[in-house]
Amino acid sequence: MSAPAVSAVAVGDSIAPLSRRVTQDQINAYAEASGDHNPIHVDAEFARSVGLPGAIAHGLLELGILAECIASWAGGNANLASLSCRFSKPLLAGDTILCTGTVIAVDDAEGIATLEVGATSDRGDRVLTNGRATVRLSR
Amino acid sequence: MPDLSHVGRRYSAPGQRIDPGSATRMAAAIAGPDPVREPDGVPPTFAAVYCLGPPLVQLFTDPEVGINLAGLIHGEQSFEWPVQVRPGDIVDSSAEITGIESRRGMTFVRLAMEAVRPADQAVVCRGTALMIVRGAA
Repeated sequence: MSAPAVSAVAVGDSIAPLSRRVTQDQINAYAEASGDHNPIHVDAEFARSVGLPGAIAHGLLELGILAECIASWAGGNANLASLSCRFSKPLLAGDTILCTGTVIAVDDAEGIATLEVGATSDRGDRVLTNGRATVRLSR
Repeated sequence: MPDLSHVGRRYSAPGQRIDPGSATRMAAAIAGPDPVREPDGVPPTFAAVYCLGPPLVQLFTDPEVGINLAGLIHGEQSFEWPVQVRPGDIVDSSAEITGIESRRGMTFVRLAMEAVRPADQAVVCRGTALMIVRGAA
């Protein structure tokens, strides 16, 4: 699958949303893969002891799911040029994350689309905010 | 506790290998119950392992900065990937403290980081991070 063509992308286009339930097993797997074993992610009792409602997903796991959502639309990881966001609210183990994105600018000359992106949880929390991504388009 | 005197402090982690197995494990962890879209590739946010993580470990264990890990929150993150990194690549990673601010009983530590592939001098990732330490400086 190749990148969307510049001529086929317009401001206001939405990308296909991605919904995924994030389990404690998945968080544990991410801790192993990333080397981030902070107990707030893998030990619910510890997380509660520091004021959290339970074990929370790594922000970078959420960002990884958002990146996958964008890369699916972009035709692959290689076409995702940048991604940024704020980790505004925690995503708890067992929550479902919903990632979305909308094209807000298209640079025809550079072949770059800028997207406003973000994610919410099924608790209604906006977990990833102020999100921006840029995608390399094809000619 | 971090303070303004630490701005400009740099951390260097040369020789980070993009281990194909580690990249695959991260892709699987991100995918969770779903199939991995690019099983032979490197997930973009694997930058957490080769670009952000190594210098961050140095920062967290820097006794002169003295970050309290128990109160640490990852507030913001940005990544740019000018050139895609490949499995097996070796990259040199570095980071610099670019800002420290205390307000509302919290300390905000800003970092800029970069990973360069020395084989062709390509910047494969650059980014910024905001770490929030509960407890004022």
